[in-house]
Amino acid sequence: MDTVAENWLTARARDVRIWRWLVILLAVGLMVFMLPIPRVAIVALIFGVAVVKAVLVVRDYMHLKAEHLFIYVIAFVPVLILLGLLLALIPDIALRR
Amino acid sequence: MSDATMDRTFAEPAEADAFSGIPPGKLGMWWFLASEIMIFGGLIACFILFRAAHGGWRAESADVHWRIGAFNTLVLLTSSLTMVLAWEAVKTNRPERVGRFLGLTVVLGLTFLGVKGYEYSREFGAGFTPFSGLFWAFYFTMTGLHALHVFAGIVVNSILWTRAARGRLEGIQHRIEYAGLYWHFVDVVWIFLFPLIYLS
Repeated sequence: MDTVAENWLTARARDVRIWRWLVILLAVGLMVFMLPIPRVAIVALIFGVAVVKAVLVVRDYMHLKAEHLFIYVIAFVPVLILLGLLLALIPDIALRR
Repeated sequence: MSDATMDRTFAEPAEADAFSGIPPGKLGMWWFLASEIMIFGGLIACFILFRAAHGGWRAESADVHWRIGAFNTLVLLTSSLTMVLAWEAVKTNRPERVGRFLGLTVVLGLTFLGVKGYEYSREFGAGFTPFSGLFWAFYFTMTGLHALHVFAGIVVNSILWTRAARGRLEGIQHRIEYAGLYWHFVDVVWIFLFPLIYLS
């Protein structure tokens, strides 16, 4: 078998393995949704699972793990701005009584 | 259009940008995705804040169909797999393999939109519209904007699929990579929309 064919088989196996994890995490999220536990705990758990799924897609399918540092800056600065916006507005909107 | 013109149209600058060391096409796609993060992130942040301010919208969210949403999540996750395999297949220089995976991605994208359309029809049938309250306004805005992005991805992937199906990968190799970045981003957005709307 030549190198190109070997590389293809290796990449396919890796990508299918990531997909299996994504499906397992989807199933985990759905199981947590049905658990008889407090809603706050359910929301925290399913968002934790969603973050792990997103990291898998961004890291392995978008190949961010092999990218230049500048791409990380482009991708994460908007996320940080949004988190800052969310945290700054929580007292005024979400906690308003 | 002559072959020479087509090649020029699809020509991809392969050299990296002198300043960043990153190919301009990839850099442009990531800048575009950063702007998309602000668009969807702003909507999602507003949804979270308003939901918390309005007692969680528990009654309203009970009317969405989580089983349909879960099925569509599986469809999009699988389409991300076929898209990344299309990019991996580019490296093997096998146009028919690239075409097969791009075709599968397009079919899965159309499946997602078809299921979403069915879901919308059920919701409209039950009397829920974008004017039925804040929850439904957010729901239709976020899922509708996402569906538009899926549609745009399907259009781009269909064009690339047509080229690959004709056995020509010259000039579009990197476009498949950039289209993949966009498609995976749309998948990531849904990964957050699904628990936010259907499971919370």
